[in-house]
Amino acid sequence: MGTFLQQLVNGLELGSLYALIALGYTLIYGILELLNFAHGDVFMVGAFLAAGAAALLVHNEVAAIPASLIVGLMLLVAMGGAGLLGVGIERIAYRPLRNANRLAPLITAIGVSLLLESAIQVGVSPAPVLVPTNALVPQTVLHVATVETPLTGVMLFVASVALMIGLDVFVFRTRFGSAMRATAQDREAATFMGIDVDRVIMVTFFVASALAGLGGVLFGLRYASIDFFMGYLLGIKAFTAAVIGGIGNIRGAMAGGLLLGVLESLVGGFISTQYTDTFVFLALIAVLLVRPQGLFGQPLTDRA
Amino acid sequence: MSASPQPLPATESTHQLKRFWESGPAGWNKTLTSPRALIPFFLVAFAVPLALQYVEDNSSWIGAQYWTLILATCAMYACLAVALNLVVGYAGLLNLGFIAFFGIGSYAYALVASDQIHQRYPLWAALLVVVVVTLAFALLVGVPALRLRGDYLAIVTLGFGLIMRDLILDLDRPPVLAGHQFGPDGLNITNGTNGIHNVAPFNLPASLPLLGPVPHYRMYYWIFVGFLALSIYCMLRWRNSRTGRAWVAIREDELAARTMGVNTFKYRLLAFSVSAVMAGIVGMINAAQIFNAFPSPNFDVQTTVMVFIMVILGGLGSIPGAILGAIAFTVPPFLLQQFVFYKYLIISVVLIAVMIYRPEGLLGTVSIRPRKTMGGTLELITAEATVEASELPPVTDAEAADLEATAGAIVEDPEWKT
Repeated sequence: MGTFLQQLVNGLELGSLYALIALGYTLIYGILELLNFAHGDVFMVGAFLAAGAAALLVHNEVAAIPASLIVGLMLLVAMGGAGLLGVGIERIAYRPLRNANRLAPLITAIGVSLLLESAIQVGVSPAPVLVPTNALVPQTVLHVATVETPLTGVMLFVASVALMIGLDVFVFRTRFGSAMRATAQDREAATFMGIDVDRVIMVTFFVASALAGLGGVLFGLRYASIDFFMGYLLGIKAFTAAVIGGIGNIRGAMAGGLLLGVLESLVGGFISTQYTDTFVFLALIAVLLVRPQGLFGQPLTDRA
Repeated sequence: MSASPQPLPATESTHQLKRFWESGPAGWNKTLTSPRALIPFFLVAFAVPLALQYVEDNSSWIGAQYWTLILATCAMYACLAVALNLVVGYAGLLNLGFIAFFGIGSYAYALVASDQIHQRYPLWAALLVVVVVTLAFALLVGVPALRLRGDYLAIVTLGFGLIMRDLILDLDRPPVLAGHQFGPDGLNITNGTNGIHNVAPFNLPASLPLLGPVPHYRMYYWIFVGFLALSIYCMLRWRNSRTGRAWVAIREDELAARTMGVNTFKYRLLAFSVSAVMAGIVGMINAAQIFNAFPSPNFDVQTTVMVFIMVILGGLGSIPGAILGAIAFTVPPFLLQQFVFYKYLIISVVLIAVMIYRPEGLLGTVSIRPRKTMGGTLELITAEATVEASELPPVTDAEAADLEATAGAIVEDPEWKT
């Protein structure tokens, strides 16, 4: 029982990371029906931006900056930088192909993903980079009964739940959110209603990518080591989570992320540590076979 | 003799060249894939290593073997590009686990042609094993995934590629699931990260009639070129058949194809599995050529992306394009070794640029350009019509009377009235 609870907590921690990235996938897919393969790599770039900011500020010789301020600046740099990167990617790589055959933007997305990976590999570091997390956040480990979890893990969980709620409010309670939903439903009709579709898509990319950037910061603080290839597998798993929850559905993405994290953690704890990824993708295939619209999604119809 | 230069007389051949140039990508494809162009191409491709050998024997240049190896790699990638073209270019399916089938083929052959599990099958049996194994994997992925929408196929195949990579890396020891060990202690199927070594090459004659002794590297170049020719022959036969038309119909508009009674699932599965088996056979030839089956390039998603860019640069649906793309992305890395570090950076930039500026590729037959909106097309048509009407000579009275008479006759025609 103790192991089970421990694995459950580990799973929730991992799952909230998946959920943060899955939120971005689901937002972009909801609006453009585009599988943004580069999203996981935007997360990775966010982590690198945060690590760069931390490396500049932590042991600088000018002034001792309080750790909380550094973390704040890291968040600003990573979220802002990742957000702008997302907007730039949309502008350069996806917008020219918006009305093209569905295959075209998918292929470009793979190209962008590979471009970001190799740019970081060539331009920054082919080896893992360390984040000075010891100097930034207290490394306390919380004990509740037999379960223990680091404070950073709790931060990850709290941040992703808070952002999910915030995003939900943004999409369902604000004027801009209803413009987003209108764009997702029918882009042409939204244009007729006076919605600036380009702007809606731009903001969507900014928000989604900023969330990924935040995920990158928290990943760096929690695991202390980042590398250029980490966004790839994490991105695919986050997309899997979004599909399991029902793509295009914000609450579904959150639930799918947590579910996938718990599943992975339980498989790792009780079945096999070697084959966790295999089980994750088998779960994806099983969900797609039984309920292609995902656990929380509306039944899908092919748009002709 | 007149000193002023005379304009060159336009000969029949320059006319032909001009016509060829003006026929556009679809015309180039038709010309380049016609038997008249393909037979000389393959004859030249066949003779190139002999010519290289001749040059080496008669000059101080040494590099026949090196260049034949490069060309063999080109031919291998051309085979892969043609196979990927079948699934992406003809059927419009985004198979991102494509290269895994290449890896599966090479491991399947390596297992039955090495001491790894102490099996050495004759060539025909090994080929059968490779075909059956890759087909089984293709059906395993294809049957569930092809029932889904296109985007999901991409993610499922991507996940499949990752699973295969993990399996290849982890199956050097018996799998332990929930505390149970499956298989004996010493179980080692794939030899993990090291790959399978000492794979037997095909049991082929060391010398051929007329050609004399054939070294290993040249033999495998010819095998790749031969397989390429065979695949292209099959692809062309297929393209002009009921099956090929069904693929194109599904790619262009799935709903319309289904309405016309095309069994979309069946034809997609066919394209998916045939392409997978082709990739598997190429993997088998590769394993025999290099005496090894390695996990790393054979299962990396970057390799899939590289084959994708070959197909896309050349042009989706185009066979000459696939060959051109394979050459364009195989030869430069050999020549510019110092740029190998930047290889994927360059590949990704080229991929994005091609998709944005020329999505149909250099020789493409499939237009995946953004579709014009209805308004734009109408505007274009009316603009053209206005120009034409103003340039036409005014209708004479006689012509008008003639037209009226014809129209009257049609209206008065009893068959038209009923």
